[in-house]
Amino acid sequence: MLDGLTLQRRQHPSRRLTFGSYAGGLAAGLGLSAVLLLIAGVPPDSMVDDLFTQVFVDPGGLAQTVTLAIPLVLVGLSSAIAMRIRFWNIGMEGQLWLGAIGAAGCAIHDIGAAPLRLPLMLLAAAASGALWIAIPLVLRLRLRVSEMVVSLLLSSIAFLLLQHLLFGGWRDPANSFPVSPPFDPVEQLGLLGFGNVHTGLILAVAAVVFTAILVDRTRLGFQATAIGLNPLAARAAGLPVAATTIAMVLLSGALSGLAGGVIVAGTEHRLTQFIGMNATFSGIVIAFVARFKPAGVLVAAFAVAGIYNAGNTLKVFYALSDGIVVLIQSVVLLSLLVAQFFAAYRIDRVRGVTA
Amino acid sequence: MEAFVTSWLATLPTFATPLLLASVGLIIAERAGVVSLAAEGYMAVGALAAAAVTLTTGQPGWGIALGVLAGAALALLFGIVAVVFRADQILAGLATVAAGLGITGVVGREYVHQTFEGVAPFDPGMLGTIPWIGPLLFGQDPLVYLALAVTVASWWAVFHTRFGLRLRAVGEDPATADVAGVDVQLHQLVAVALCGALCGLGGAYLSVAGSSVWVEGMVAGRGWIALSLVIFARWQPLRAVLGAALFGGVEALLPRLQAVGVDMPVYLGAMLPYALTIAVLIAAGVSRVGATAEPASLGLPYIRQDRR
Repeated sequence: MLDGLTLQRRQHPSRRLTFGSYAGGLAAGLGLSAVLLLIAGVPPDSMVDDLFTQVFVDPGGLAQTVTLAIPLVLVGLSSAIAMRIRFWNIGMEGQLWLGAIGAAGCAIHDIGAAPLRLPLMLLAAAASGALWIAIPLVLRLRLRVSEMVVSLLLSSIAFLLLQHLLFGGWRDPANSFPVSPPFDPVEQLGLLGFGNVHTGLILAVAAVVFTAILVDRTRLGFQATAIGLNPLAARAAGLPVAATTIAMVLLSGALSGLAGGVIVAGTEHRLTQFIGMNATFSGIVIAFVARFKPAGVLVAAFAVAGIYNAGNTLKVFYALSDGIVVLIQSVVLLSLLVAQFFAAYRIDRVRGVTA
Repeated sequence: MEAFVTSWLATLPTFATPLLLASVGLIIAERAGVVSLAAEGYMAVGALAAAAVTLTTGQPGWGIALGVLAGAALALLFGIVAVVFRADQILAGLATVAAGLGITGVVGREYVHQTFEGVAPFDPGMLGTIPWIGPLLFGQDPLVYLALAVTVASWWAVFHTRFGLRLRAVGEDPATADVAGVDVQLHQLVAVALCGALCGLGGAYLSVAGSSVWVEGMVAGRGWIALSLVIFARWQPLRAVLGAALFGGVEALLPRLQAVGVDMPVYLGAMLPYALTIAVLIAAGVSRVGATAEPASLGLPYIRQDRR
C-alpha cells in the first residue's frame, strides 16, 4: 500500500518538529473531542462555559478540579516511572484499590496510636500498591511472563477483593449502601481552606519533586533511563538491570497505592466502590501527554482532572455517561500517537519507480 | 452426579464461545505480527451494536451482523493508527480499548437493561436424552456451531492457503515478505479487521445469545482473558478450542455450584477465571512457550527503509 511514498526514519527530529507535531496532535485531539461533544448534543456556547470556565476559572469548580487532580498526579507519576523503564504497568487501578484497602484497613482496625494513624494509613497504602505490583514484577523477572495482562487481571481481582470486603466484614451496618464505616477525624487528611482541597495536594507536589529529582539527578534515574532506551546495551554496559527495574517498578506501584490512600483519607473518608477513576488509562494518558516528565505530569493531571470535573456536569445536564470522559482521553491519546508519526518519519514521494 | 455434569457441560459452550471467537481473532492478528490489545474494546462495541439492532429491528441476525461490523470498524481505527501510522501497538491498543468502552458507555444509555428476544438454542429432542453429552453436543444455539466452523475455517485459512502463508510470513519476517512482493501493511490491516470482526461476533454472542440484554461492562475482562488464551493455544486456532473450553468450564461451574446449593463467597469465586488466566500464563512462562511459538516480529512496526 502507498507504494508511491517512502518513509525515512529521522535520526534527530528537530526540536521545532517534535514540538509542532505534539502541539498539532493535542489540538487535533481536543478539536475532535469538541466535535464529539457537539454530536452528543452539547451546544457550542455552553462548551466554553461548562467545560472551561466552570472547571478552571470559577473558584468552586477550580477547587473541585484540584481535588480530583491530587490522585491523578500520583497515578500519572506511577505510569511515567514504569514506562521510563519499559515496564507495562496497566494495573494501576488495581494498585489504587489495594492502596485504598490498605489505608482503610488501618483506619477500620485502629492500628497504631492516634497521632501516628494518618502516616501509617498512607504508608500502608503505598506498601499495598507496591505489594500488588510485585506479583507481575516477580513473574516477569523470574519467568518472563508478560507483565501487561497479569497486572491488568490483578485489577479485576483487586476490585472483587474490595467488593468482598464491602459486602462482607467491612460493611457499615448503619448504611444501606455497601460502604465501610466513616473514618475518625484523626484518620482524615486536613483541608487547606480552598473547597475540598486537602493536604494530599502537598503530598502530590512533593511526589512530583521527588520523582523529578530521582529521574533527572540520581544514578538510579539515569540507569532507569538507559535501561528503558536499550535494555540489552544497558546490560552489556554492566548496569544493574534487575535491581533498577525492581526499585522503579515498586515505586510505581507505591505511587498508585498512595493515590488510593489519598482518595479514601482525603476525599471519601471511607472505603467505597466508586474511587477507581479509570486510573490505569488516565495515568497512561497523563504520562504520555506529559512526555513522561514529572513536572509535565502536574500540568497534564490538572487538565485531565478538568475533563473529569466537566464530565460530572455533562452527566447532570446533558444525560451523558461517564464514558464521554474516557472517550475524550482516548481521542487525545490516539491523535498524539498519530501526530508522532510526522515527527518520527520523513515522507518522500517516489516518482516513476517504486522502491 | 450425572445430572450435575450433564447440565454443567450443557452450559459450558455459552461461556466458552465468546472466548473462542475472540482468541481466534487475536491469533489471526498476531500471526500477522500485530499485537491487538483492544479485543476488550471490539467485544464491547460488538455486544452493544448487536443488542441495539436486535432491540430496534427484532432481528437477532441483523444484530449479529452489525456487531461483527462494529468490531471490525473499531479494529480498522486501531489498524490505521498502529499499522499505517506506525504508532506503538500497545499504547494504540489501550487507547482503542478506552475508545470502545467510552463509545458504548455514551451510546448504550438508551439500550441498557432492556431485554429482548435473542438467539435460542436448538431443541435437541431425543438426542438430548443421551447421558452426559447429549445437551452439550446437540442442544446449543446456532452461534456455537458457527463459532466452531469459524475456528476450523481460520485454521485452514492460516495454515493451508496462500493468504495464510503470506500472513504468517508478514508476522515472522516482514522484510523478507516485502521483498517477495507481499504487501505487509495491507495484510496486517486485513488481519486486524478480521480480528475485530471475530471479537465483535464474540461480543454479539454475549448480548444476543448469552444474556438477551445489554449492560455496561458486560464483557468484564473477557478480551484480556482471550489475549492470554492466545499464548495458551500457542498461536494455533484449533488449540484455542481447548483453552476456551477450559475457561468456559470454570466459568460455567460457578452458577451450577450455586444452583445445587454450594455455599461459597461470591466475590472470591468470581476471581477464579482471572486467577486461572494468571496461572495459565505462569505455566506458559515455565514451559517457555512464548520464546518458541510466538511470531518473531510480533509487535514491531515495519518500515521498509529499516530493512537489513
